[in-house]
Amino acid sequence: MDKTMATPVRVEGLTVAYGQNPPILENLNFAIRTGEVFGILGGSGSGKSSVLRNLIGLVKPRAGQVFIFGQDMWAEEGRWLNVCRRRFGMMYQAGALFGSLNLLENVSMPLREFTDMSPAAVETAARMKLSLVGLAGFEYYLPVRISGGMQKRAAIARALALDPKLIFLDEPSAGLDPITSAGLDQLIRTLARNLGISFGVVTHELGSVMNIVDRAILLDKAAKGIVAEGRPADLAQMTWPPYVVAFFHRRPLEDEGKISEANNARQ
Amino acid sequence: MNNAIPAGPGPEPPLSLIFDPQKRLARLAGALTVDAPRSIWRPLEPDKASASVAGINGELTLDLAGLTALDLNGSAQVLSVINQLDRSGVQVSVRGLPDDLAVILELAREALKAPTASPPPRIGLIEETGRKLVAIKNDAATLVTFTGKLVIDFLSSLRHPSSVRWATVEHVAEVSGVNAVPIVALVSLLVGLIIAFQSAMVLKFVGLEIFVADMVGVAIVRELGPLITAIVLAGRSGSAFSAELGAMKAAEEVDAITTMGLSPVRELALPRVLASLLTTPVVTLFACFAGIWGGCLVLTAMGYSLLTYWQEAISMVTGTTFNICIFKSIIFGFVVAAIGCQRGLAAGDGPGAVGEATTSGVVTNIVVVAVIDSLLAVLFYVWDI
Ligand SMILES: Nc1ncnc2c1ncn2[C@@H]1O[C@H](COP(=O)(O)OP(=O)(O)OP(=O)(O)O)[C@@H](O)[C@H]1O
Ligand SMILES: [Mg+2]
Repeated sequence: MDKTMATPVRVEGLTVAYGQNPPILENLNFAIRTGEVFGILGGSGSGKSSVLRNLIGLVKPRAGQVFIFGQDMWAEEGRWLNVCRRRFGMMYQAGALFGSLNLLENVSMPLREFTDMSPAAVETAARMKLSLVGLAGFEYYLPVRISGGMQKRAAIARALALDPKLIFLDEPSAGLDPITSAGLDQLIRTLARNLGISFGVVTHELGSVMNIVDRAILLDKAAKGIVAEGRPADLAQMTWPPYVVAFFHRRPLEDEGKISEANNARQ
Repeated sequence: MNNAIPAGPGPEPPLSLIFDPQKRLARLAGALTVDAPRSIWRPLEPDKASASVAGINGELTLDLAGLTALDLNGSAQVLSVINQLDRSGVQVSVRGLPDDLAVILELAREALKAPTASPPPRIGLIEETGRKLVAIKNDAATLVTFTGKLVIDFLSSLRHPSSVRWATVEHVAEVSGVNAVPIVALVSLLVGLIIAFQSAMVLKFVGLEIFVADMVGVAIVRELGPLITAIVLAGRSGSAFSAELGAMKAAEEVDAITTMGLSPVRELALPRVLASLLTTPVVTLFACFAGIWGGCLVLTAMGYSLLTYWQEAISMVTGTTFNICIFKSIIFGFVVAAIGCQRGLAAGDGPGAVGEATTSGVVTNIVVVAVIDSLLAVLFYVWDI
């Protein structure tokens, strides 16, 4: 079987926990399919970033497995870890650009490290990626000299650098104005449709969820797991459980305790 | 048809570029992706000897009908080669790209149409020198302003002691004063030991080893005790202040203090300077004590009694010498903490800023301490004390 045909991400029985602390999320099962924009939704502190940290191999799962393009990431004592990591791009919630390099160098660095492209082609590619996220003209700025939203976009450009078939984005549109954010949505959709890139996107911006996300899971802190899974349009139609309803209708939860009990009962 | 360079053993038809100079036609086939080796483009590289590309001028057709895959980095390679050929006077026309891949090339081409920046010009030596001089001048000015503010805040804190953050003072006094005693004492002990040993080597010839005690006593209390303490504290506490305040500056904490209507000098620098003023004289006394003991080790090893040594050494430490020691230590305590804090508060932004602030703090501190020490030595000589 061709390796690119394998499911980009498959998660089986994943338990997310830090150190000796009690688990944040338990027994997660989901998959991100080829060319799909997959949303990881949930309230603040529900563990979205933590799930992502498990998916990209920064934190070892307490239990369960993560398969990247069919390869168990933690198999054989981490021998496959870096192999898997090179196959996806990642944009961190806070950007994580290299502060001492300008934007052009930030984006061309992975290209210089991991490909055999000529210097001219590397520069063309890096300028192209920056332009795609609307940063043409800022090639020689250091990250501290641009705004927070621009840093975010530069981080997306760096995630795109190696043309990975799988990209994780942690809150790509947080801190962006509606126009830039819509532009970003369009870019993600274009890349998914035309290049067959799969995206794992952490977000809580309902507008962009409805626009670009093909399928999503909704995490709940109280239920310690996935409370809903499916197409955003379908999720928005749901009338139960209350957490899902509240989330998709931007309503406060009336009684946190009751709702988590209800969710637990349903699990 | 002999210019084919197959690349990569992939399961796909291998990536190849076939160049036919007669027909002015280059055919690219296979998967052109980020993994493509750069050698694939060699047939189209400009020929340096004849200043033409692969022996042709004018036009070239690039046939992409055989491409099975293309990504943005593949497109970047195509476009950068086209650009390169263009600059050597060869117009390239692209044809035959399958529709689904054409979208990608078009996306790449569109992206590159946006106006881009060119690298900033390099600064010449003369301009660089000028900039450095202006920076040094401004730097000296800010240091003076800062000291002024600090003195004003210090005086007002004497009038309103309750306005001082004593909790911070106490904490800083412990961390950067008390905890520095072992290292200061150790360095001073070793210096005392070395002085005693070296001078004993010489004085032994004239049988006057006992005067080593006098020498160590005076040298340590008058000069080296305060100096060693200042230099160790500059490296240990002054640098910590620079790094701490520099990090706060970078995290916009200093801005937060300013916008609350508070003064960063008063809130952050003053407690540290006060703590340093209070602890440095004490640490210096420990240093003097340890230094004299260092000399003692040498002389007792040479057979003198402890008591003789101690009396001899202490006899040289008059009230004036002692006062000079304390006076210097107060000055140094102020300088080390003030410069450390100033460098931290003046830190720029960016990842290297905290490091730069710390380095600059330590360097400035050592220079200023050395200069002040020499000035005082001259003054005391002139005043004959
Ligand atoms: N390094 C860590 N060590 C221990 N606990 C952590 C760590 N990072 C996060 N947590 C805990 O995990 C929980 C989920 O945090 P996480 O950052 O994954 O939330 P999130 O869903 O990404 O929230 P947000 O939308 O605000 O970014 C929080 O309760 C947090 O306290
Ligand atoms: Mg998060």
